[in-house]
Amino acid sequence: MTLSADQRMHLAEFAKVMIPGGADMPSAEDLMLWRDPIDEVLAIDPSRLEPMVRFLDLPGNIATLADVEALAQTDRAGFEALGIVLANAYFMHPQTRAAIGYPGQEARDSSGGLTPDDEALLKPVIARGPIYRSP
Amino acid sequence: MTGTSLTAHSDVVIVGAGPSGAVAAGELIAAGISVTVLEQGDWVPADAFDGATPHWELTQLRKWHPNPNVRGRAEDYPIDTSHSDVNPLMFAGVGGAALIYGAHWMRFMPSDFRVKTLDGIADDWPFTYEDLEPFYAYVEEAMAVSGRDGNTAYPDGAPCPLPPLPIGKVGRKAAAGMNKLGWHWWPGSNAIPSRPYRSLQPCVLRSTCGTGCSDEAKATPDRTHWPQAIHQGVNLVTGARVCEIETDSPGRASGVVWIDGKGERHRHKADVVILCANGIGTPRLLLMSGLANRSGLVGRRLMMHPFAAVMGTFDDDLESWVGPAGQILTSMQFYETDKSRGFVRGAKWNCMPAGGPQSFRAGYGDGPLTDAWGTTLHERVRRKFGRSFEWGIVGEDLPDEVNRIALSDTQTDSSGLPAAEVHYTVSDNTRAMLDFHTARAVEAMEAAGAIETSVTSLIRDCGWHLMGTAVMGNDPETSVTNTEGRCHDVENLYIFDGSLFPTSSGMNPTATIMAVAAKCVLALIENRATVGTAA
Ligand SMILES: Cc1cc2nc3c(=O)[nH]c(=O)nc-3n(C[C@H](O)[C@H](O)[C@H](O)COP(=O)(O)OP(=O)(O)OC[C@H]3O[C@@H](n4cnc5c(N)ncnc54)[C@H](O)[C@@H]3O)c2cc1C
Ligand code: SF4
Repeated sequence: MTLSADQRMHLAEFAKVMIPGGADMPSAEDLMLWRDPIDEVLAIDPSRLEPMVRFLDLPGNIATLADVEALAQTDRAGFEALGIVLANAYFMHPQTRAAIGYPGQEARDSSGGLTPDDEALLKPVIARGPIYRSP
Repeated sequence: MTGTSLTAHSDVVIVGAGPSGAVAAGELIAAGISVTVLEQGDWVPADAFDGATPHWELTQLRKWHPNPNVRGRAEDYPIDTSHSDVNPLMFAGVGGAALIYGAHWMRFMPSDFRVKTLDGIADDWPFTYEDLEPFYAYVEEAMAVSGRDGNTAYPDGAPCPLPPLPIGKVGRKAAAGMNKLGWHWWPGSNAIPSRPYRSLQPCVLRSTCGTGCSDEAKATPDRTHWPQAIHQGVNLVTGARVCEIETDSPGRASGVVWIDGKGERHRHKADVVILCANGIGTPRLLLMSGLANRSGLVGRRLMMHPFAAVMGTFDDDLESWVGPAGQILTSMQFYETDKSRGFVRGAKWNCMPAGGPQSFRAGYGDGPLTDAWGTTLHERVRRKFGRSFEWGIVGEDLPDEVNRIALSDTQTDSSGLPAAEVHYTVSDNTRAMLDFHTARAVEAMEAAGAIETSVTSLIRDCGWHLMGTAVMGNDPETSVTNTEGRCHDVENLYIFDGSLFPTSSGMNPTATIMAVAAKCVLALIENRATVGTAA
């Protein structure tokens, strides 16, 4: 199953309304989210395609979030699939990550342990003494 | 699947290759006892996990989801949760649910073993914290536990074999808030090495422990136990779903029957059968076999630790996607009973990083479905991402016989065996406890300088900890096994997992599951000559 041209056009309408851009973050349109980014998500999790397509096939024009809400109420599972696909396409995109300063779940050195400042924070806890209840 | 003949024999057969099965197999083989382990799941190599990929947040919603019903893999069995307030969570594989556990490493507190004596409710354990202490220390050595010694919540400070992981900006922020209030906190203890340790790499703080560690760091039995056990001679068979414990004379098990991925049945004979299939898998197998249930308690007294959380958002950049996750801090400030609060027992808190940007996409509550979209999406992510962390609250769940596992009449697993059906209601005591604790956690967030807090009063997908469904005790009329995990009704059938627990504590249970498994298996080895076997 793949997206037809009509379904992809409809998806673009949803994407533009749901991810308009703002707060120094790109819009769905800036990223052309309904093209490669969506395909990338669906390749990783194809199980989202069927419910999303079902949702995209619902009749209706999408110009505002209220339009999306009305359709979402008729097929919550379909809307959820659409949301997962759009959100992941958006937040996996390098431009979005750069905009919010997210390097991904990166690797860092863990060997530093507690700093002297951390140990200082712990002092009052130690000073208060044991808190367990003896049985 | 490593092969086994159609009818095979070993001294002992163990069902389940998670932490409890790993402890049991390791000790038995070291004592010269032949062991076969049957595990319905498979090996999962580190590079199968997605933590280091950009699509980590996507696959945790399906492929690496902790709920077997959502994952829907052939090796999982479905669980009918339509009669339950909480979804049980687990993973089928070599390493069991530890493959996706948070590695929060907590010993139970001394009072946890004396609930009846101290608070007049539930039951005391048949042994004490002091009795279990050497077994804790023993399994902590194997599980590369990192933490800071001297925790004032424990009589002996709960020493750890490895130094603590960093607490980072999140930990310092949370700790400062707790200090303002004069409340207990302590750097988190985790089964995650802060240094290269035996076969484990040092943690790289990737913070994806709950969906598997792609860096070979988190201590899971497929790294800490199974390679050595197999090297010593344990026969670990994967893709092997046990469907029945067989008996061939009254009161004696003769072995098990298991089904492979192609649906073929195999018989494995053994002198001793040990169940390590967790608080749901173990009673499911006992119920399917119609065994060990004179007390009527098989499957009953299920405890799952209802969980609540408070998220705080701050002005500062806390890099709050950085791990470990893992727990950064813990608090036992409100762990012990104070009846003036309107409930008994208490809860442990763990401070956790908030994760990637999608943690903030959705709103809270029952607002419009589109609440998470439009300009709100951008504003919310900008305001919260990297600037938020969570106090998670693990509430002690008290045993109640109405909370139980049954066999489903309507659903089956991929081998055609009945699915588990869970009947579970969150008690009034637990609800009052979580309300009290979330209110305190909001105060802790505000003291730390939070500009915004949000409370999730009960998370449905929180059945991480499965306990109590084959309780141990001295009386065969009120318990399923004796105090060493040996079934009262079937003298060579043993249970070594969390099913044994008389009460649940408010702690993550794996430390205690492994310590109890070590205690029980060493007793079995010591008493081996007196263990009756099938004729
Ligand atoms: C998402 C998540 C996070 C968690 N985080 C923490 C944490 O931070 N700290 C903590 O202490 N605990 C945590 N836990 C709980 C922890 O994982 C368990 O306590 C621990 O794994 C229990 O060990 P076990 O060996 O008794 O059971 P499991 O690990 O559940 O292993 C049982 C094994 O038995 C197998 N099995 C079951 N039935 C059959 C059958 N019929 N035939 C063959 N094989 C069978 C299963 O496939 C499984 O591999 C978490 C759990 C989850 C799911
Ligand atoms: S925080 Fe450490 S243990 Fe956890 S997944 Fe990352 S590297 Fe592995």
